[in-house]
Amino acid sequence: MEDLLKPDYGVMILTICNFLLLVYLLKRFAWNGLIGALEKREEKVASDVKQAADDRQTAEKLKQELEERLSQISTEASKKMAEAVKLGQAQRAELLAQTQEQAKRLLDQTKAQLEAEKNQALAEVRNEIVRTAVLAAEKVVREQISTQAANEAVDRVLAEIEKK
Amino acid sequence: MDVAEIISHHILDHDWGLSLGGWRLPITTHSVTIFVVSVLLLVGLVYISRARASRSGRLLTTLAESYITFVRDSLVLPNMGAEGRGFLPYFCTLFLFILSINLAGMIPEMKTATSNISVTAALAICSGGVILYSGLKYHGIIGFLKGFVPSGTPVWLVPLIFPLEIISTIIKVCVLAIRLFANMLSGHMVLLCLLLIIFIVGKMHIAAGAGALLPAMVLEIFMTCLELLVAFLQAYVFTLLTAIFAGSVIHTH
Repeated sequence: MEDLLKPDYGVMILTICNFLLLVYLLKRFAWNGLIGALEKREEKVASDVKQAADDRQTAEKLKQELEERLSQISTEASKKMAEAVKLGQAQRAELLAQTQEQAKRLLDQTKAQLEAEKNQALAEVRNEIVRTAVLAAEKVVREQISTQAANEAVDRVLAEIEKK
Repeated sequence: MDVAEIISHHILDHDWGLSLGGWRLPITTHSVTIFVVSVLLLVGLVYISRARASRSGRLLTTLAESYITFVRDSLVLPNMGAEGRGFLPYFCTLFLFILSINLAGMIPEMKTATSNISVTAALAICSGGVILYSGLKYHGIIGFLKGFVPSGTPVWLVPLIFPLEIISTIIKVCVLAIRLFANMLSGHMVLLCLLLIIFIVGKMHIAAGAGALLPAMVLEIFMTCLELLVAFLQAYVFTLLTAIFAGSVIHTH
């Protein structure tokens, strides 16, 4: 059992050589390739993660800008809508006033025209009556009735017409 | 053959008695085991590093990369910092090498070479070399030697502290060898003792031997599971301590 602690220098040197050779060969033919591929992939993943984070940041910034723009557009639209409503109301009031004025003017014009036509008709009727009366008077004169009597008769007839 | 002889026969290294030109060749059971394990590791890992095309190859490559990530993120970088990246192949090999040799003892007709003090001493010498190389690489000879004196030490205490620190480092490396050797040896001794219980009790009376069979086998299975755990644990501890010692030399007080 005491041999357990007795070092075998040959085995020791052989183990050292074996192990160091194994480290060298594995480093050269296995670990370098595996570690290189692993680090490359890790770099790619890190780069992708960074890219994704940047993209997300950009998207959030864009979203914020769009939201601000949308809010601005909404405010402007509300403002323009209010202005349009106000303008529409003013135009409506103006149009209403113009229409009312035009209607009034047309009414006045029509009234005046009617009055003039009425007066003209009355004058024509009067003249006709006068002419008729004159014709009648001429007949009467011919039948020896004075002109004065004829006028009185005409005035009496006119007064009766006006009463009607 | 008494119990001590049986245990010695199963645990001790056996020289194959080969010589070349009068020089004894160190071809022993343990050295052959180490050689076989090394060849298997080399062939296996070279195959894995080049077998990306097939699905099974990708699976093996993924496993190897997970292993590298484990060694790098759990053992090397936390203890050695970014400077440890250059030593990653060494630590990857060290852990796998010790683990494979530890587990080789579980295979019939193979021996646990780490139950040989010469083998563990060789591994400890390699780790000592890595520790020394780390210190010299990052601090130079003067800086490395200065690292043995903690900052703030009074000048009159330096002649005392300096040799103590050097001895302490050497002892740490020696302890690496002794810890691995003792743990692997004791595990195998316990396994053998449990098996021998059956034969010792059976020699007293055949019925007693039969009665001892079941409890001995249960204990044997339990100890084998424990041995598997110890195989992983000791490989981890040896690699971790090497990384810690190398890190302490790189990042001095």
